[in-house]
Amino acid sequence: MSEFFHQYFDFNYMGEHFWEVLEAFLQNLVIFAVVAVLALSWGLLLALLRQLPGKKFVPVRFVTIAYIDLFRAIPILIVILLISGGIPFLEFIPKDIRIPHWFGKPDPFWYGVAALMLVYGAFTAEVYRAGIEAVPRGQMEAARSLGMSHWQAMRHVVVPQAVTLIPAPMLNELISLLKDTTLVSVIAFAESVLISRELLAQSFNSSAMILTAFFFILIILPMARVVDKLIARQQGKIARGSHIEVA
Amino acid sequence: MSKTRLAALFAVFLVAIAALAVAGCGGSDDSSSTGSETGASTEESGGGGEPLTVGSDIPYPPFEEGKPGEYTGFDIDLMDAIGERIGRTPEYTDTSFETIFRDVAQGKFEAVISAATITEEREQTVGFSDPYYLSEQAILVKEGSDITGLADLEGKVVAAQQGTTGLELGKEKANASELRPFPEGPDAVNALKAGTVEAVIIDAPVAQNAVEKSGGVEIAEKVPTEEEYGIALAKDNTQLLEEINKGLEEVIADGTYTTIYEKWFNLEPPKQFQG
Repeated sequence: MSEFFHQYFDFNYMGEHFWEVLEAFLQNLVIFAVVAVLALSWGLLLALLRQLPGKKFVPVRFVTIAYIDLFRAIPILIVILLISGGIPFLEFIPKDIRIPHWFGKPDPFWYGVAALMLVYGAFTAEVYRAGIEAVPRGQMEAARSLGMSHWQAMRHVVVPQAVTLIPAPMLNELISLLKDTTLVSVIAFAESVLISRELLAQSFNSSAMILTAFFFILIILPMARVVDKLIARQQGKIARGSHIEVA
Repeated sequence: MSKTRLAALFAVFLVAIAALAVAGCGGSDDSSSTGSETGASTEESGGGGEPLTVGSDIPYPPFEEGKPGEYTGFDIDLMDAIGERIGRTPEYTDTSFETIFRDVAQGKFEAVISAATITEEREQTVGFSDPYYLSEQAILVKEGSDITGLADLEGKVVAAQQGTTGLELGKEKANASELRPFPEGPDAVNALKAGTVEAVIIDAPVAQNAVEKSGGVEIAEKVPTEEEYGIALAKDNTQLLEEINKGLEEVIADGTYTTIYEKWFNLEPPKQFQG
């Protein structure tokens, strides 16, 4: 039993390596921040493309739906390995893009960002879609009858209402994104799990892993509470039947 | 109507999963039956006894490779030969290298054969058998690279495998601009071929294997490390340690070692391992 605690809860060891692990954890947060911005935009674009009306947009809708289905189905780990192992071979792409070192970040960082963005774009697109479809059709019809185009109606009437409906599920996606940033360790990007395992390899002590877990808990627990609050607020609104009048 | 259709779809889905699960079980049944067959053959050769649980980080070709139930490689063949001598059939568990010594110390398996170098640091956690292999590190580069050895790695992006002596060598002597510790060796070689790293420091036989099987890469330099591989056991398991050492001695003496070595490395073994 004491061996178990020594292996996983050696507080002296955690103290010795605190800054090293924290610095690595900050790398997770950087990936998270960059991917969150990209995936939220990419997802919105996908959701809007998916909602395009009429026959002439059938191919667009088809491609969008195929993309979303595909990237929701492929394990993220495989996407990361395929991108980091595949893109560099595409020699028709300029080397600075194939093997990016932008903003002082090494290429595995950008491969990880690209993979997570592609996957989480698909997931957030579905959340946006749920929001857009929850706005009554009458809103779109009314906007169109006032002479707005489909895009104008989306931009000024439907999407503003849709986004007020989805913060809770979207935050859930972001929570799972933050945790999935650790997967980038598989292509040797020095984030917290890679560093923890590196420390484990050096010292045979797993406490750095627990320290890393603690950092994640510290960030994610408040996020989870916010989700709870948002859901409670939403249900209050629905109970009063007033959420439609937000705009 | 739509509800019943949904239910039907769900039922089909469940049946499909069940079918896959059954097929999976069938597969493992097969492997366990082949396992007992090999067990029977050891009994004929005077063995028997309970299986010997062995941990290894697979794949690490040519030391360990293959699918669960049909693992093969230099380490595996050697361990099988030793197992035969001591009358216990090895049963392999694929595990991760950076936890492997802790796991054997805690008794998750009885022995570790995983191209593991004997170091003082590791000897604090586990006990090692007599050395069964002498190793060198290789600097693996892309074909036509102007890197000719360790000295040229200064300022370059270099990869190695996490928890290995290759990584230590890189830290101590390479002076690279960035040293990337990949969790698995093949991913490091892949990164070299993709051009995201300029060199990989890895065990020489693994490098040789990559040169032969994957192509496009070559060994720039072999660095002798005075590394010896050993079979690791829990520190207090002295009885098994003695048995394994004796088994290894026999395997070397009767020439089995040379046969296995030549099979996997296309080379004559070092003198001390020739029978």
